[in-house]
Amino acid sequence: MKNKSQEILSREVVIKLENISKTFVMSEKSSIRERVFSLFVGHKKRKLHALKNVEMEIRKGEFIGVIGRNGSGKSTLLKIVMGAIPPDKGGKVTTHGRIIRLSLGMGFDPNLSARENIYVNASILGLTFKDINEKFDEIIDFAELHDFIETKVKFFSRGMRSRLGFAIAVHAEADIFLMDEFFGGVGDANFKKKSVKVFQQAFVEGRTIIHVSHQLNTIEKYCDRVLVLHKGEVVALGKPDEVIPIYEEVLGKTQNKKLKKTTT
Amino acid sequence: MLNRLRREYREQFVDNNRLERISLLAKVDFSKRYYDNNLGILWALLNPLFRFVVYYFAFTYIFENRIPSFALYLFCGLITWMFFAQGSKKGITILKRKKYLIENIQFNQIDLFIAAILAGLYGYAFNFSAYFVVSMLYGTPIYLTLLWLPVILLNLVVLTMGMSMLLATINIYLRDINHLWDMVVLAGFWLTPIIYDKSITMEVVPILQYINPVAGIVINLRETSLYGNAPYMHLLIYDWAFAIIIYAIGSMAYRKYAHMAVEKL
Repeated sequence: MKNKSQEILSREVVIKLENISKTFVMSEKSSIRERVFSLFVGHKKRKLHALKNVEMEIRKGEFIGVIGRNGSGKSTLLKIVMGAIPPDKGGKVTTHGRIIRLSLGMGFDPNLSARENIYVNASILGLTFKDINEKFDEIIDFAELHDFIETKVKFFSRGMRSRLGFAIAVHAEADIFLMDEFFGGVGDANFKKKSVKVFQQAFVEGRTIIHVSHQLNTIEKYCDRVLVLHKGEVVALGKPDEVIPIYEEVLGKTQNKKLKKTTT
Repeated sequence: MLNRLRREYREQFVDNNRLERISLLAKVDFSKRYYDNNLGILWALLNPLFRFVVYYFAFTYIFENRIPSFALYLFCGLITWMFFAQGSKKGITILKRKKYLIENIQFNQIDLFIAAILAGLYGYAFNFSAYFVVSMLYGTPIYLTLLWLPVILLNLVVLTMGMSMLLATINIYLRDINHLWDMVVLAGFWLTPIIYDKSITMEVVPILQYINPVAGIVINLRETSLYGNAPYMHLLIYDWAFAIIIYAIGSMAYRKYAHMAVEKL
């Protein structure tokens, strides 16, 4: 294990986050009268600070866990790394490699078949048709969807969808996986075995993974480093066994607060 | 200079899968629209055909007109207008419809627009060849002026592409544009010489053809393909300038604000 963490340090940085904050401005729903009025005065707006000054460097092949309570900014962080949403002014995201974000119910056009979705997704990831043709059977094998190749994805269960997404990401050889509570209890034992294999080989193959999850056992088992977020701020960043107790403390504190509130 | 352009082109399109990707997205876009329908792709022809029949009867029997070979005149104008109207309309919602891709994979999102235009072009090409065949059956000779067609059609494509990028960007901040644009499209239909004679936009109210660039495009398409005349140069130049300006504004606005799409839509 020591070897691995030393070797990581010699590798190139593939994700660099500098001073990342994110403020969402939300306009509230309003009546027609207010809406017409607001044409001249401006909307009623509410600000939400989803992330505050996150700094981080991630090297090639690292497996990073992100934990935190609901609303702590985990998903926002992934979207910013993805480039899907921009950070506030002054923040900077630098990434190297092809990124795919995997989340439940993601990434597919429900009205297209599994085959078409595989082609669209892989093509957007940068694969040529020739590559996709070659890998098509492997993808179907991995996702265990032999009987549903021509079925529209809207008829797929959550489990089937996430299997398909994961299979595409693995075989299209995306360099960076952003997994947003992706294995929240889906997949049977067989599929889990396959995904574990992917995780274990990630380091050797130089595949970088950021895994947002509530399942502490997975985090503990595979992550090289774990980031704990609380209300948009980094509470801790380090080895799982050092950091998870801190998380549990944070979790306990807020739960205690809640308990107190309900009792009073 | 030429070498640099060629290298640029290779980097942009050939040395990666970009052309393949655009054609795939266009194919999916085109076929998806008719997927669940029993008549499938036939609808691409049936829809303009039905509109054509309605307008043809209305403007032959209810309101009279003195336009020679009115059927061809009407059909040419109608399909051209529909290409622009549908292309720009689809542009408004494209970022929302393709959010599932934008959110999850990094890629050049301009490809989505190119693909949407390409999908519209498939349908337009289909209709345009129908127009061509029928016009030959009517006895229209093959004029040399047909060589102008690519110049005029490219003008239409540049205009539609620029417009859809501009509208897509506006839609990120102002969702009302969807409804507003419906009205513009309706007005534009009547401001384009589709069912009435071109003399109205060219002589009676000449400002119409400068407000609405599609008017000039439709007029020049007919001049070159139906009558064998050279296009009206002042319209051709004006419409190209209009299209290039819209394209420039559209792509600039898009480049500046598109990154807000996922957050706002």
